[in-house]
Amino acid sequence: MRKKLVEQAEIMSNNTLSEDVNYLVLYSPQVVDLAEPGQFVMIKNEQGSTYLRRPFGVADVDRANGRLLLIYRKAGKGTQELSNLQAGNRISVEGPLGNGFSFRSESEAAEAYGDTLLIGGGVGIAPIIYAARHLSEKTSCKPIVLLGVRNKNELYWSQFLEEYAQALIYTTDDGSYGIKGFAINAIPDILDKYPNIKHIKVCGPTIMMKGIAELAAKKGIECQVSLEKRMACGIGVCLGCTFEGKSGKRWKVCADGPVFDGVEVFG
Amino acid sequence: MLTLNMNMKRLATDFAGIKMATPVMGASGTFGFGIEYRDFMDLKQVGAIISKGITPVPRAGNEGVRIAETPSGMLNCIGLENPGIDRFLQDILPKVKAEAPNTAFIANFSAGTVDDYGVMAAKLDVDGVDGVEVNISCPNVKEGGIVFGTDPRAAAAVTQAVKKNTKKPVIVKLSPNVTDITVMAKAVEEAGADAIALINTLTGMVIDIKTRSPLLGNITGGLSGPAVKPIAVRMVWQVANTVKIPILGLGGIVTAEDAIEFLLAGASAVAVGAENFVHPDAVVRVAQGIDNYLQENGLAHVSELVGKLEF
Repeated sequence: MRKKLVEQAEIMSNNTLSEDVNYLVLYSPQVVDLAEPGQFVMIKNEQGSTYLRRPFGVADVDRANGRLLLIYRKAGKGTQELSNLQAGNRISVEGPLGNGFSFRSESEAAEAYGDTLLIGGGVGIAPIIYAARHLSEKTSCKPIVLLGVRNKNELYWSQFLEEYAQALIYTTDDGSYGIKGFAINAIPDILDKYPNIKHIKVCGPTIMMKGIAELAAKKGIECQVSLEKRMACGIGVCLGCTFEGKSGKRWKVCADGPVFDGVEVFG
Repeated sequence: MLTLNMNMKRLATDFAGIKMATPVMGASGTFGFGIEYRDFMDLKQVGAIISKGITPVPRAGNEGVRIAETPSGMLNCIGLENPGIDRFLQDILPKVKAEAPNTAFIANFSAGTVDDYGVMAAKLDVDGVDGVEVNISCPNVKEGGIVFGTDPRAAAAVTQAVKKNTKKPVIVKLSPNVTDITVMAKAVEEAGADAIALINTLTGMVIDIKTRSPLLGNITGGLSGPAVKPIAVRMVWQVANTVKIPILGLGGIVTAEDAIEFLLAGASAVAVGAENFVHPDAVVRVAQGIDNYLQENGLAHVSELVGKLEF
């Protein structure tokens, strides 16, 4: 069976969440059928001026309606052009790609498996949505969700996550909402309050993931990190995104990841 | 379901003794070992898989940023990351032959010395390898052969060393980063090459003006994609007018129309490179488009297009 494919997806909506962040809903039923939490897609706007595809983490899927949700920051020419597309336009979606987060297997008891802390930073919060919904609906243990954002103008993530989280905690860089500081600063208190947290999954800036992975390792908590690196192909052939893990093994972010064990990446 | 409708009789190609289903191959460094593309195409409709460049020992590749988008193309400075010849022969080649037993397989390789080129050729003279592509043109590592690719005498020495050590058809892949590519082509033809592939990437550079530093970790990289196509077509035409051995044309092919330009310029076969990253079914789509063109123009076989440039 094919595990990945290219699909011409129709844009259902492409609206702003803030000045620089958009959420894009695509009708892409074949990709949606296969996509798991933590996987990504490569997007090509055939009308745009850029040549290569761009990777986007799958923010969520609606299998019943074939909908794929992507949330992106307008950072460069490609995403700027993407933000100009409207409902009814088509874009090419290649996916689903890579290996996503792993979760409790059906044979494991929920109590023994423990709680999961999901952490997202900036636009890296996007794949946390699908992971949270999966935990809530498929494994019946709602996660604790910690989001690191710049300020109180970036609380729009709540609408996607509230329903699936047993607790939704924000940190803001400027202290304008929630806890002042970075996501990592909030973790000790969260671990005190939820002593049964045994798993952390994090997607965000590298410096954030590094700090959290190191903290998790110290506390003996399993930690999965979702990496982002420049890539041309997304399927393990261009080798633009490879790195050497702490074990000495070489990994491809696109084909072996993007989700890796934090210890292998950061030690 | 993945098999495209095309007339395989019109497209079947014998390139320098390598029997191929179509004249359209996946170019080295952009096609993995072929099997990475199995979800996107019927590999039986691929002319040939040209492997990622293999070296005598495993290579980790270059540090830092390796990929940059450029106008109508891309720069890369991967640095020949590969598992090395031994793991290729033990682990990878058997997998490729299990999944794509009927697809021609060409092993691309490079080495740091003339002698090592010979050693590599001998190791690759095995069942399952239908031909070798000698890389004397990787711009991103010293041991990638570029020192051999810009000096006609060194290129000839490498070609002779490879020919002496293998019974497989030998394709020599030339660098466009020379003043006169016909000198290089003539040198490798006289040294016994069975075919010539051109072009490898053009050396380029991008500067990040915010940090005022080179964007790529290796400072410079190889330019590929549609931006290089007119240069590649011109070089294929020049070389076709100079040598008698067959030419594998590549550089910026996106569509069948692009590929047909190369054939008319004198290439007997073509390879799709960077475009595989953008449209992973490009190799078979290009072959299908060539077949449509043959049918529309009442041609019985793709070879009827080769070198048929009119003035």
